[in-house]
Amino acid sequence: MQVFLQTIVGGVSLGAVYALVALGFSLVYRTMGLVNFAHGNVVTVGAYLASTFYLSTKLPFALAMVVAIVVTGAIGLVIERVLRPLENKDFDLMLIGTIGFGIVLDALIIMIWGATGRAVPSPVQTAPIDLFGLRIRTYDLVVLAIAALATVLLVLFLSRTKRGAAMQAVAMDHEAATAVGIHVGRSNAIAFMIGAGLAALAGGLVGPLLYVSPALGGALGIKGFAAAILGGFGSIPGAILGGLAIGILDSFTAGHFQGYSELVTFLVFTVIIMVRPTGIFGERTVNRA
Amino acid sequence: MTTGLSLTVEGLTVNYGGVSAVRDLSFEVPGGDAVGVIGANGAGKTSTLKAVMGLVPRRSGTLRLGDVDLSGVSARNMVRHGIGYVPEGRHVFTGLPVEKNLLLGAYARKWDAGTRATLAEVYDLFPVLGEMRHRLAGALSGGQQQMLAIGRALMSRPRLLLLDEPSMGLSPKLVGDILTVLQRLRSEGLTLLLVEQNAKLTFEATSSCLVVENGAVAMSGTSAELRNDPRVRQIYLGL
Repeated sequence: MQVFLQTIVGGVSLGAVYALVALGFSLVYRTMGLVNFAHGNVVTVGAYLASTFYLSTKLPFALAMVVAIVVTGAIGLVIERVLRPLENKDFDLMLIGTIGFGIVLDALIIMIWGATGRAVPSPVQTAPIDLFGLRIRTYDLVVLAIAALATVLLVLFLSRTKRGAAMQAVAMDHEAATAVGIHVGRSNAIAFMIGAGLAALAGGLVGPLLYVSPALGGALGIKGFAAAILGGFGSIPGAILGGLAIGILDSFTAGHFQGYSELVTFLVFTVIIMVRPTGIFGERTVNRA
Repeated sequence: MTTGLSLTVEGLTVNYGGVSAVRDLSFEVPGGDAVGVIGANGAGKTSTLKAVMGLVPRRSGTLRLGDVDLSGVSARNMVRHGIGYVPEGRHVFTGLPVEKNLLLGAYARKWDAGTRATLAEVYDLFPVLGEMRHRLAGALSGGQQQMLAIGRALMSRPRLLLLDEPSMGLSPKLVGDILTVLQRLRSEGLTLLLVEQNAKLTFEATSSCLVVENGAVAMSGTSAELRNDPRVRQIYLGL
């Protein structure tokens, strides 16, 4: 029982990071109807920016994160602006455009930071907390708290603000949204900016947990994508639950199957999706992509 | 609601990839009046309405609302100049609650006490929307969605309301309800431009009509005249 609980605790912080990545996927899908395949690569950019500001310019970790989120958000704006002409032509082209942008970002990352990775020391050096015999790393709690805060803010933005409602309306009906006076391009740009900001948050937080390398975003992107699908694509609570589920599943398979852990994780994921294709909270399957 | 303004359309032409859907169409809707556009499927009715709204590009033509020239105004800004649009097939925001749909109708205005007052007026016009204000729009019946689409357009406090086939797919009883609503809006002074396949409804809701065939005006006149015209009776009323 002790081992079981410890395994869950071990998976929760990475699960929270997957959840943040899934949130970015879900937000862009919910507000644009688009699956952004560059999202994983944007996570890598965010991870490198955050670690660079933290390690090289010696900014405090929190400030380094904020700067990384702002810069990465701006990159999100650039991606949307470049792809915008495609949206008006053919939506499928825009989807392919995000794949292309992902490849461009990958190449830029290697040009700027090189092909080898870097380790980021944990910004929280306090000893793990002992709770009824369970060892909980303090940094894991920080990751959880920040992910929870980001989620609450995003939900409030979508459900309580005029802009949030307008962004969801754009995804549901372009033409009707235009007729009530919503600037569709601006709405999409904001969706991309927030999505990229969430990616940077995930990338920055995961730095001290994993090794920051050009392959980071690929790994996190696919797990976050799986998390979003598992929870029900486009659903905010689904993204959170899916992320935590994949994180805990990861933790179990790593303990029991070592080298085959990824294989087992995705096999379990595949079986769940075969049983419930819409995911946990999904009302609809991805149909615009 | 608000007092209506006149709409003047001159020489409107719409092309889709070399094929003209609307050819050199001119008409006027006097302020506070209701004008109908009837015609068969593919005659260019919807294209005309979308072109007025700017949702499809106008090849040529000018349009004025009252004394203001709107020829160069983009689709997204039409609502800011006082044009409300009820699209064909309703197009409500299915994943959002009824009240959010209505509030988004007032997107171009500041959300304040005035918006609340307009919302109350819409709920007065469509009590069923008030009862269902927290339901998702996608969960409403076809007739309720049509009322929501009209209510959403009214939330912008338009001076001219464009309606594209509001009777589509509705039962005769619901068509009657829509007619009652249109008559009430007209009696309150709103200008209406109604595009319909249902000629009977259109004649009852409007004072004059255009009959459109192949993107051009084939006939026009008062609704009473057209209703008794032998050709219109045969083709559009099936009598």
